[in-house]
Parts: sequence; C-alpha cells; structure tokens
Amino acid sequence: MEQPVMGGDDYIISAERLEKTYPGNLKALDDFTVRVKRGEVVVVVGPSGSGKSTFLRCLNGLEEIDSGSITVDGIPLDDREEHRLEIRREVGMVFQAFNLFPHMTVLENVNLAQQLVRRRSRSEATEFSLALLDKVGVSEKARVYPDALSGGQQQRVAIARALALMPKVMLFDEATSALDPEMIGEVLDVMRSLAGEGMTMVVVTHEMGFAREVSDRVVFMEQGRIVEEAATATFFTAPARKRTRDFLRQIL
Amino acid sequence: MKPAPLFKTVYRDLLGFAALLALGFWLIGRGGANISYRWHWQQVPQYLYSLEDGRFIAGPLLQGLMVTLEITAVSLILAGCIGLATALLRMSSSPVGRILAWGYLETIRNTPLLVQIFFLYFVMAPILDIGRFATAVVALSMFEGAYASEIFRAGITSLAKGQWEAAFSLGLTRFDTYRKVILPQAIRRILPPLTSQAISLVKDSALVSTIAVYDLTMEGRAIIAETFMTFEIWFTVAAIYLSVTLLLSGLVALVERYYPQRS
Ligand SMILES: Nc1ncnc2c1ncn2[C@@H]1O[C@H](COP(=O)(O)OP(=O)(O)OP(=O)(O)O)[C@@H](O)[C@H]1O
Ligand SMILES: [Mg+2]
Repeated sequence: MEQPVMGGDDYIISAERLEKTYPGNLKALDDFTVRVKRGEVVVVVGPSGSGKSTFLRCLNGLEEIDSGSITVDGIPLDDREEHRLEIRREVGMVFQAFNLFPHMTVLENVNLAQQLVRRRSRSEATEFSLALLDKVGVSEKARVYPDALSGGQQQRVAIARALALMPKVMLFDEATSALDPEMIGEVLDVMRSLAGEGMTMVVVTHEMGFAREVSDRVVFMEQGRIVEEAATATFFTAPARKRTRDFLRQIL
Repeated sequence: MKPAPLFKTVYRDLLGFAALLALGFWLIGRGGANISYRWHWQQVPQYLYSLEDGRFIAGPLLQGLMVTLEITAVSLILAGCIGLATALLRMSSSPVGRILAWGYLETIRNTPLLVQIFFLYFVMAPILDIGRFATAVVALSMFEGAYASEIFRAGITSLAKGQWEAAFSLGLTRFDTYRKVILPQAIRRILPPLTSQAISLVKDSALVSTIAVYDLTMEGRAIIAETFMTFEIWFTVAAIYLSVTLLLSGLVALVERYYPQRS
C-alpha cells in the first residue's frame, strides 16, 4: 500500500492550495492550505472580506473551488455528488444567521436530516433530538416554532441540528456575531463543551477570549492568503509577523 | 394565541358591500323600467333546480355549474403541476430546460386565451383526437400554468439563500431540499397570489363556452336563446360565479389563519 503524503491519516481535513475567485472580485482564496487534525480546534481570524466564510463554505462544498483539493475524513471533495453529500454528512455547519427552518418546530428541525439522511424512524430521531436539545439547554422548547425563541436559543438549536448526524467536524461561521451581547455566552458555552468532548472544530469568530481559551491553533488570513498560522499561545503572546501584531492590537 | 374571530374583521366590509348591492339593484330596476323591461324572476328557479316527489333535480344552470367546477378543479391541479415544473425548469442549470420553459411562457403570455382555445379546438383536437372537455382543460391549464409558474418562481427565489445552505449543509439532496424546506415555505408565501390565479381560472373558464362546452355560461346562453330572459339569467349566472369565487377566497383565508406564515 502506498504511504499517504504528509502523514495524511492524522488530518481529518486537508485543504490544499485552494484558489477561489468570485465573478468580478479579487481572489477570495489564494494558494490557501490548511490541515486540521482529529480533535483539533482551529480558529480562523482576519479582517472583513478576507475570505474566512469562503474557506468554511468550500470545506463542505457550499462553494466550488477553482483549483486545489479538499479531503475530509479520507473522502475527496470532487465532482461526484455522492462524495459531496457524504462529506456534508460528516461535517456540521453553524451559520451567523442561524438559518433554522421556520415552518418546522424545533424538534422537527433537529429530526429532519436524521430521518431523511440517516433513515432513522421518527421515534428514534426524536429520542436522539431530545437528548441533543437537552445538551444545548433548550429541550423545553422542543415543540415550539423557531420564531418563538431568542437568538441565543435559536443558535443553540442550530447547533443541535448540526450535531444530529453525529458529524466528525463542526464548522462555525461567526456563530455569535448576530446575537445580543447577553446571549453570546450561552452559545460559547455550548461550543466550549463540544470542544471539551473532543470534537474537531473550525471556528471563525471575533471572540478572542474564546479563541484564546478553547482553540489549539489560530490561522490569521488576509485577502485570501494565510498571513500567520500558529499554536494559540504563540499566536497571542508572540506573533511572528508585524501584520499579525497590528491586527491583534486593533481587536484586543 | 387564538386568531381573532373571522366574522368581526369582515362584517363592516359585508355591510358596505350589501349597501352597494342594494344601490345597484335600485339603479338597474329604474333602468329596466325606463326601457320597460318585464322581469320574470319567478321563472328563474326552475332553471336552477326542481323538486319532483320531494326529489332534488338539478336544473341546467346547476348542471352547468358542475361542469364549470369540474373543468376548473382539474385545470387548477394541472396548472399547479405545469406551473411548478416550469418554474423549476426555468431555475434549473439545464439550458435546454430553460429555453423550453421560456418559449412556453412567452407563447402563452403573448397570445389571447380565446385564440389558444380555438387553436387547440380547431387544430390540435382533431389531430390528437381529444374531446371538447379535454380541450378546454388543456387550454385552461396551459394558460393558467404560465402565470402560476411566475408566482412559484417568485416565491422560491424570495426565500433566503440561508435556507438552501442550511439544508445542503445537513447533507440533504436537492430534491429533499425542495420538498421539505423550500416548497412548503414558498407555497405558504404565494398562497395569496395563487388564490387570485385560481379565481382568474374560474372566471376564464367561461371562455370554454365558445367551443360549446356546456358550462355555466353556455347553459345561461342556451336558456336566454329560448326564453329571452336576458337580464335575469345573466344576473343569476354572475351571482353564481361570484359565490364560487367568494367561497374560494373564504376557504383560503381560513387556511391562512390556521397555518400562519412564519419567518
Ligand atoms: N457570493 C459572492 N459573490 C461575489 N463575491 C463574494 C461572494 N461571497 C463573498 N464574496 C467576496 O469574497 C471576498 C471574501 O468574502 P468572505 O465572505 O469569505 O469574507 P469573510 O472573511 O467571511 O468576511 P466577513 O468577516 O465580513 O464575514 C470578499 O471580497 C467578498 O466581497
Ligand atoms: Mg464571513
């Protein structure tokens, strides 16, 4: 058997030399390479428009890359629709705008993919969903519609929904940016406990306190390129690049 | 949260409507007197129904109404399917599909319905060997389907991109995403314009009387030809159409109350 390049087995995500240009734009991703180990929590930071969302969305095929390669848990993200679907089932995503399905109850939101994708019966799905909702602290809201929930509750439901397929990786795109300040904490708590359970996470966030405390590694990007990538402690205490120091001074 | 009683919200409108109606009848009564029209309202009911040994027998107008309802119901379902299929084709990634949908929409929307009915009846019906009823249904559903497709398209594109992305990120297929996430929301959103379209369909169905389908309008014309009760019969026919369309609006209003739109 051929030996995988660069000890590929350790990496649950490898995104190699990604290039992505939106029509009529500068490069959103430019020779962008990131690899993530199993159980690792990687935080991606950078100024607005630097390509953080684009990177996350490429990882589960919501956005097409122009060139480069993406492999998740050994599955290549290529032209084959099965691969794309399979990767999406292994990767949960949480959005800034929650994006709950407003015409379904909280429980139905969390049940949906289990029933359609995993072919679980409704009762099996419900049992698991209620456990997940309990874990994120909104089980008493299972039977209501999302419009009756606060932003923080909605986002916690969205996390439960993303966890319903038992993904191996979770992507968070500014999950707390649309929340009132008093609700940010409850969502970060859920993310923190997920990280504590060993979930592999790629997190785009402006919450530097959270990044510092929870992440293993920080990727700082600008204009689609990596400026600096370092272990979290190093990144915050001894950044190598001047651009990184300027950025940190600005946001801390 | 219980919905407020339906009656309360509409009864002022109803009162106003009744007043207007009374005024209208008074004006017409006066006009009738001026041209010395002789009213024969007492003869109208026999064309609606008759009772024989206590058995209810539908008169020609009610039979016509049944035909109108049948044509409308079948066309409504077909128009819905055609409209949805066309909307999906137009938004699909297939160039052939998009061109087909575009050609269909432009043809239908830029020619009169009456011409379409005649074209189908005199040109296509003999070739395909289909009857008058089927011709009427095909003509109406093609016509209304074109308008329904625009309504569907608007409803689908009005949904935030985030709904698609959330469904895709959960590993749902495009088909499941449409079925479970996009269409249920889109249809709830487009219920009002879709209702107007259904009402247009009821009204447009009167045109099929031109190819001698014995719908409500055709029955009315036949009775008038026999009895010369022009005013009474047209009033009655109009009133029947009005009740059907009002009933339809009322039903949809109920549905809207019990399935509130959520966002
Ligand atoms: N759908 C799109 N069409 C065209 N250009 C886009 C699209 N999405 C993003 N872009 C552009 O690509 C670049 C990267 O955008 P991206 O959303 O990935 O940045 P970001 O780092 O997530 O920014 P933010 O912090 O504001 O969310 C930006 O210049 C943006 O304007
Ligand atoms: Mg972003």
